[in-house]
Amino acid sequence: MKEERSKKPAKITDEERRTFLKLGLKITGVLAGGTVLSVVPLPEEARALMEMEGYRHTKYKPHYSMVIIQNHCIDCERCKKACKLTNHVPDYGYRTTILEKEVITDEGEPFRVFMPVLCNHCLNPPCVRVCPTKATYKDPQNGIVMMNIDKCIGCKTCMAACPYNARYFDEEKRAIDKCNFCWDTRLSKGEKLTACAAACPAHVRIFGDLSDKESEVYKLVFQPDKIVWVLRPECGAKPCVFYMND
Amino acid sequence: MKSSYLFKIIGILVVFGMLAVSIQAFAQDEEEGGGTIIFTKPVKAVIFEHKVHLAQGLDCDSCHDDPFEMAAGTAEQNPDFTMKSLYEGKYCGACHDGETAFASNTRCTACHIGVKGYNRLTGPKAEGNGHEGE
Repeated sequence: MKEERSKKPAKITDEERRTFLKLGLKITGVLAGGTVLSVVPLPEEARALMEMEGYRHTKYKPHYSMVIIQNHCIDCERCKKACKLTNHVPDYGYRTTILEKEVITDEGEPFRVFMPVLCNHCLNPPCVRVCPTKATYKDPQNGIVMMNIDKCIGCKTCMAACPYNARYFDEEKRAIDKCNFCWDTRLSKGEKLTACAAACPAHVRIFGDLSDKESEVYKLVFQPDKIVWVLRPECGAKPCVFYMND
Repeated sequence: MKSSYLFKIIGILVVFGMLAVSIQAFAQDEEEGGGTIIFTKPVKAVIFEHKVHLAQGLDCDSCHDDPFEMAAGTAEQNPDFTMKSLYEGKYCGACHDGETAFASNTRCTACHIGVKGYNRLTGPKAEGNGHEGE
């Protein structure tokens, strides 16, 4: 059986093979003179690699994204405080917050895990798709999922669509508010980091340009020997906030 | 006449209240050998359980007065009470060096309980926004 698989199908071009790979299928044989193809699903790891490749060449430049070194987070919440001050976030809402869970180690000992969360600035953002007035949109240059509050009618459909609970209704603005990587408050003024990343004392939030091969985020996301994950990948939103452990 | 009577009652109540507080504090010190210490500087918050460390076979002399003064809160006043100092073997780093006890740059959340942990231990805080648990 193994021998049969390793045999190269005669009449399949590399291009065709790639098309099948994109569908998550690997060509394992050609039968009946090329009229019948034998295909199997790619192994899990290979699929994951293919997924990551989708992040390597996007149309955004710079492509702002964030890596979160999860096990460095100590829930000091300086990020949250800095975000609130910088972006005038009211007490009833948040643009970023820290989640907490208790897990049991292999040795049976409980330990705390803190997980910073924020808008994932997805490549395929469900919030943008559902907005009836195009008040929320993905910036064509830098990939930030932005809000145009003048167009927002407060229907909250985007809140329901977001798999990451990253949006809230701002009572004062009478519009949805969300993380925009501090675009209006910092990045557009020449700052290199978001307020949360700048405030973090534990090197948890690493912010940068995923389209720049020299950037720290690029190097962290595409290093081959580390496990990198995203939240709720099954939603297909292609989130651009990556998680890893040190 | 009536108001002096009231003052006496209040005076007695205050004395009893202070007594109760001091007894409680004394009892806690005796029972748990220092009780639970929560550091809030430079980050909120780090927990230190005296009883956990006593159970490891340590006694008061192991840490007092070096590297820690007996009076709670003394170390926190020092500007060098930071992780960097711990890595250099100061404060907790005297033992938490990877040999005597787990290294200071590992298992962060074993000691760091965060703002959430702090709020749980100290009760609801006015400065919180009520969404801490989210």
